[in-house]
Amino acid sequence: MIDINWALVAPLLVIQFILFIVALIDLIRIHETNGPKWVWAIVIIFLNTIGPICYFIFGRKTS
Amino acid sequence: MKTFIILLQKEFRESWRSFKFLWMPLLFILLGITDPLTNYYMEDILNAVGNMPDGFSLSLPDFVPIDILMASTGQFQSIGLIVFVITIAGMINRERQNGTATLIYVRPISFFALFMSKWVVGSLLGILSVSLGYAGSMYYTAILYGSVDTMSFIQMVMSYCVWIVFATAVALMFSAIFKTAFATTFTIIVIPFGVMIDSLIGQYWHFSPWKLANYSVQLLSDTHNEYYIKTLLLTIILLILAIIIGILFTRKNAGTTKI
Amino acid sequence: MIRIEHLTKVFGGEKVVDDLSFVLEAGTSTALIGPNGAGKTTTLSMLTGLLKPTNGSIRMNDTQDIRKEIGFLPQYPNFYPWLTALEFTEMTGKLNGVPSRDAKKQAERVLDFVGLTNDRSKKTSTFSGGMKQRLGIAQAIVHKPKLLILDEPVSALDPVGRREVINLLKQLQQHSTILYSTHILNDAEEMTDQLLFLKKGQLVEQGSLKDIRTKFDSFRYKIQFTSKEEASLFATQSQLPTTVEESYAFIEIKDGFPTMQELMSQLIVLPFSILKVERVTMTLEEIFMKVVGQ
Repeated sequence: MIDINWALVAPLLVIQFILFIVALIDLIRIHETNGPKWVWAIVIIFLNTIGPICYFIFGRKTS
Repeated sequence: MKTFIILLQKEFRESWRSFKFLWMPLLFILLGITDPLTNYYMEDILNAVGNMPDGFSLSLPDFVPIDILMASTGQFQSIGLIVFVITIAGMINRERQNGTATLIYVRPISFFALFMSKWVVGSLLGILSVSLGYAGSMYYTAILYGSVDTMSFIQMVMSYCVWIVFATAVALMFSAIFKTAFATTFTIIVIPFGVMIDSLIGQYWHFSPWKLANYSVQLLSDTHNEYYIKTLLLTIILLILAIIIGILFTRKNAGTTKI
Repeated sequence: MIRIEHLTKVFGGEKVVDDLSFVLEAGTSTALIGPNGAGKTTTLSMLTGLLKPTNGSIRMNDTQDIRKEIGFLPQYPNFYPWLTALEFTEMTGKLNGVPSRDAKKQAERVLDFVGLTNDRSKKTSTFSGGMKQRLGIAQAIVHKPKLLILDEPVSALDPVGRREVINLLKQLQQHSTILYSTHILNDAEEMTDQLLFLKKGQLVEQGSLKDIRTKFDSFRYKIQFTSKEEASLFATQSQLPTTVEESYAFIEIKDGFPTMQELMSQLIVLPFSILKVERVTMTLEEIFMKVVGQ
């Protein structure tokens, strides 16, 4: 095992977690998305970091 | 002036409610701390994942803080910049295409105020994101590799922010001229691809806005770059030009809003 | 009073709006009527300042920026989904110069008028078509504009929504100048002082409903027989131009001929029974078809 200083890595995980949670909560509350909601749910849950950001850029409907 | 403030408030509200002011800074912080961390653990990572042949020893270069900040800048200039300009390049045309602009354009607003409200909010989003991104990178770099001169660091960040503000203006200009798909394509070609092209064949000239980011990082070193000021001035001039063109096209294309 | 003179719009060499001139008197309602593609929306867009006319002028007394005095409702109003109805109305009011301290009150007042009081704190993304149309009216009147421009205000609504919106417009009609486009002529009949008939970008007829009626309405007599055969038989014998539909015969009167008496004298000698004789006036729709069909 790699000897990892968790104090150093923790912020990374925290940020990823915030992105994940905020994207998921927004997805649940939003009225409509570009494309089916369940696809975005999969994207957010399974694609670490990139998933939530893709959702924010392309998933949210602007009109 | 009054309509500018109302429109500014509207833009802030939109960016805030669509979480742009949350996820964009978080993305840049992630990009900023990735390089100091992965470089630090590179040896361990390679040992853990790669089945190194016996007796193979890897010699990684010894990084100094400026190398790490340069690497982080590289992250901002590629992934960060692409994501950022995609977001900005839709700010004007998307409203025209979905018709939300119509109920704004029929009111006695100036297109100067309209464009500037978007530019200010876009720029602040960019400045906040890269500042926090650099702060994250610097924090880890300082812990793992050592520190740099504080004033030079601040100067570097501010200088990079000029580039981000320029990128915002260019993206918005394309947003005012073209529909979303074209505006996004052109912006990506001119800004992130422009950086790549400049780094490939840019040795033939010494000042261009695409060099500003690298010159900014060089501010950390002791070597004096005689082209820095010219590059900075050129970027600012082109930035103003992009704003003027953007405003003219915002007005010219007002009639293309979906009614 | 708004004076429109020689208004013209050319798109790619084609005159979409061709030399329109008309006057909107203060306090009147004007309906812009025409089939799809007649140039109604283009005309309204030029009046709102969204499109620049190729030629011609729009003048409102001595107002410089006409956008200050206009409220506009597009056919399908689009709202920012992330704003509530109240926030949006307040913002649009402020953009039109309603002082900041009054803007919220004024927004609440107009939302109350259109019946959105209970929904004013909801995001517009949750609104139905009818609610959007009512919010559209609210944002159009929040700054008390001198001229209200409405593009097909009720065409997209279901009958209930349509009635609601028409009633709102009738109330607004009492103290504002209204210009609206429509292709549903019943609406025009209900709330109009002036009619403008548009065809292929040209103004083919204008005037009050009454004037246009007198000009175009030919009176017709509708005579009901007991069967289609009898009606047809009458048509062959008749010395007047007669058309037959089912058991009805129609006789059109042009230039006051024939008179009722002449018609009666023909009918009275017929060997079969007549159930009904009535004079029918043309619906606005028929007048419209006649004007546009010219």
